Amino acid sequence: MTASESAARTASSAAADASAPTAASAPAAAPVPTAAPALRVRDLSVTFTGPRGAVTAAEGVTFDLARGEVLGLVGESGSGKSTVGLAAMGLHDPARTRVTGSVLAGGTEVVGASEGKLRALRGSRVAMVFQDALAALSPFHPVGAQLAEAHRVHHRGTSRTESRDRAVDILERVGIPAARSRDHPHQFSGGMRQRVMIAMALINSPDVLIADEPTTALDARVQRQVLDLLDELRHEHGTAVLLVTHDVGVVAHATDRVLVMRDSRQLELGPTERVLTAPAHPYTRALIGAAPTLATVPGTRLPTVENPEPGPRAAARTPVAPPERPLADVTGLRVEFGGGRSLLGRRGEPTRAVRGISLSVRQGETLGLVGESGSGKSTTARVLAGLQRPTAGEVRFAGRDITGAAADTRLRRELSREVQLVFQDPYASLNPRRTVEQIVTTPLLVHTRADRAERRDRAAVLLEQVGLSADHLDRYPHEFSGGQRQRIGIARALAPRPRLIIADEPVSALDVSVQAQVLNLLMDLRDELGLSLLFVSHDLAVVRHFCDRIAVMRNGEIVETGTREEVFDRPAAPYTRELLAATL
Amino acid sequence: MLAHVIRRAVQAVVVLLAISATAFALFYAAPSDPAVIACGPKCDASQIAAVRDSMGLDEPILAQYVDYVRGLFAGRTIADVDGTPIACDAPCLGYSYALHEPVRAAITSRFPVTLSLAAGALAVILVVGVGAGFVSALRRGKPSDRVLSAFTLVGASVQIYFLGYALQYLLVYRTGWFALPGYTPPGDDPGAWLAGLLLPWLVLGFVNAAVFARLSRAQMLEVMHEGYVRTARGKGLSPLRAHLKYTARGAAAPLVQLLGLEVGALLGGAFITETVFGLSGVGKLAVDAVVQNDLPTVVGTVLLAAFFVVVFVTVADLVVAWLDPRVRLA
Repeated sequence: MTASESAARTASSAAADASAPTAASAPAAAPVPTAAPALRVRDLSVTFTGPRGAVTAAEGVTFDLARGEVLGLVGESGSGKSTVGLAAMGLHDPARTRVTGSVLAGGTEVVGASEGKLRALRGSRVAMVFQDALAALSPFHPVGAQLAEAHRVHHRGTSRTESRDRAVDILERVGIPAARSRDHPHQFSGGMRQRVMIAMALINSPDVLIADEPTTALDARVQRQVLDLLDELRHEHGTAVLLVTHDVGVVAHATDRVLVMRDSRQLELGPTERVLTAPAHPYTRALIGAAPTLATVPGTRLPTVENPEPGPRAAARTPVAPPERPLADVTGLRVEFGGGRSLLGRRGEPTRAVRGISLSVRQGETLGLVGESGSGKSTTARVLAGLQRPTAGEVRFAGRDITGAAADTRLRRELSREVQLVFQDPYASLNPRRTVEQIVTTPLLVHTRADRAERRDRAAVLLEQVGLSADHLDRYPHEFSGGQRQRIGIARALAPRPRLIIADEPVSALDVSVQAQVLNLLMDLRDELGLSLLFVSHDLAVVRHFCDRIAVMRNGEIVETGTREEVFDRPAAPYTRELLAATL
Repeated sequence: MLAHVIRRAVQAVVVLLAISATAFALFYAAPSDPAVIACGPKCDASQIAAVRDSMGLDEPILAQYVDYVRGLFAGRTIADVDGTPIACDAPCLGYSYALHEPVRAAITSRFPVTLSLAAGALAVILVVGVGAGFVSALRRGKPSDRVLSAFTLVGASVQIYFLGYALQYLLVYRTGWFALPGYTPPGDDPGAWLAGLLLPWLVLGFVNAAVFARLSRAQMLEVMHEGYVRTARGKGLSPLRAHLKYTARGAAAPLVQLLGLEVGALLGGAFITETVFGLSGVGKLAVDAVVQNDLPTVVGTVLLAAFFVVVFVTVADLVVAWLDPRVRLA
């Protein structure tokens, strides 16, 4: 979509924003909003009743969604945005949930409607696209059959062949060849699966499409394709879209209006351009600023909800002079998986995860390893950490050959004194049965002779370094939020005073404002302790903000290496340019 | 898929050969001399030597095992105690000198009892066990769920010999509601077959059903929250239809695997149930053989039980692969 089109859409929906929308003289590209909204939500509240009392998930939500309009429902996890989407489908379990207020979908009241009435509505007038298509599609049935079922449920009396033809047609419309309709979801790529989901939602041409984080699990280029497809189909079918997302970039790119939610309440509602440029609420401002974009000044302190207007950082980061010897050095690395001999004597093709790459991390620098899923960046990081045995190539750390660390317990143990890891998922990477003290002091127990009291003192210092307090030592991980857990993970990594920290997608699982906090923390610690980092990420904007040098990976190869300025301002590889263009 | 089937079949054969070798080795490691047992207590040393010779026990153990395996596939001729040859067709499981008949004949004559008992118990397990689990999962937390859960807890904790005798006393002797348990070949009188086995079926089935009820309830509850079940509801399917088509399929894999084991075990004989109800099946044959040191019968029944377990575990794995296309890749 061109900029002028986008502006025109924003303008036309600004008209729709008025409570009595007039048939504005909208440009051809924008669907004309009609008097009756596709979805009309009034004072919607959703309360979950559990064994530990009632929890309010959404309260007093009110908005209209005009025909053909895209409304972004934005907020952080737990803000209630998905709850609103599910309520519009009447998908909450009535035994455990109390829904009040009113949701009118195409003139039908959803709140309090009978199961039969809701069934007629779901998938027919209101349809939903879920975040994780791999989980949301049945692993047991071919995709064609799943789509045909969605059609047949609402078209009693149609023949199986007719429903199947309809499924094949719409699959082809979203770019999936007819021959693949017999394949199962796991045989498709992530982007194709999400297109299958979209095709399934649109097979009955619904009035309202609720898309819950439809592109969150996707790589930037695929996200762009899926959003564009969604936009085309919306125009073809005149479908109104409620786009639930946490990603301000997606909101800016794809929505006409935006509704900001926080703590289950509606904070702000308005045309996207207005909300993004002149947010009325400080929270919205923080939310918008928290995610670095390709225009953010690299290395600056990111605004957070607690601190929406942070002061500048003490000193701009000066590029490190390359010392004579790199800290970590990888030459000609190849990693292959599988390909072993099977019982019947056939030899399978091995998966080539890394195909002959060389890179080095210098003392005191942060190297960003960026690429799409499956590019081999995590495998490379695991080799450097001594967790994955390379098929070929040489790995050196501080001049020492550590190629065999994965197969040599002693070498790996020595290496773990110097190289520590920060993981992606702070919920999975901390043992739920151990206290924070036990978690943080384990590396000290392994690598130092410190006694119990000394270890506890060091743990207290570490916790304060990462912005927690010594009071937290005796607590368990479940008592902390995701951001706090990631801080605990960082404290654990810092404990043995390592020379290199490998951070594999350390902020990808976090909400944007928490992501900003953790990035700010990592930047502070880096300056304070002179850390060297290998920072693995799929997010170009984050890498640009945080890293000194960047290596771009694709299909197990490095397509480009250079300083931040080289890679982002003058990208040499066409692939890098493609990635940059797709970043929202 | 075909390669998967072949692979699993080859594995099954290897496992069975390993079990037969182990059983055979145990047979010879046992402290008793098969020739002494075969000959009987009244034999003198020269008679025992003659028996040992005619049984081929003086040959090396490996040669005897090769003979045994050959007998399994091609049949062989076995000498009786007095040296008269006995033709033993494939699959030959040896000759029981205690029962004075080939082991296979001993098993074959009792197998219909075991098969009837297993089939009925299996039906009870499927209907009562899996059915109860399904219903309680759908009605989670409601009174019907609590009653069913309590019921299955009783089933899981009660012993067959207690439940069997108690029900037999109450339902057969006191009230006369059930016929006296016993086995009538279904070909002779289907009604008597059914009446005689009804109580054993219910007891054996109910006790085993408890495990299935609990497992299927837990599985259903877990799968119920999967994204694809929500998607099915989002398409406009009714809850029951969504759960039957999607939740049940997602929950099936561990149940099918456990069911494979259960079927294999039931066909290998249910000694306690057979004893309680006076049924003469393979389980009772096996335990009697152990008590009487009738080693050819012991090895034969062990091999038979192992055969059924291996076969049905393999079948269960194939069913799981068929149910879930993702498994086929492995």
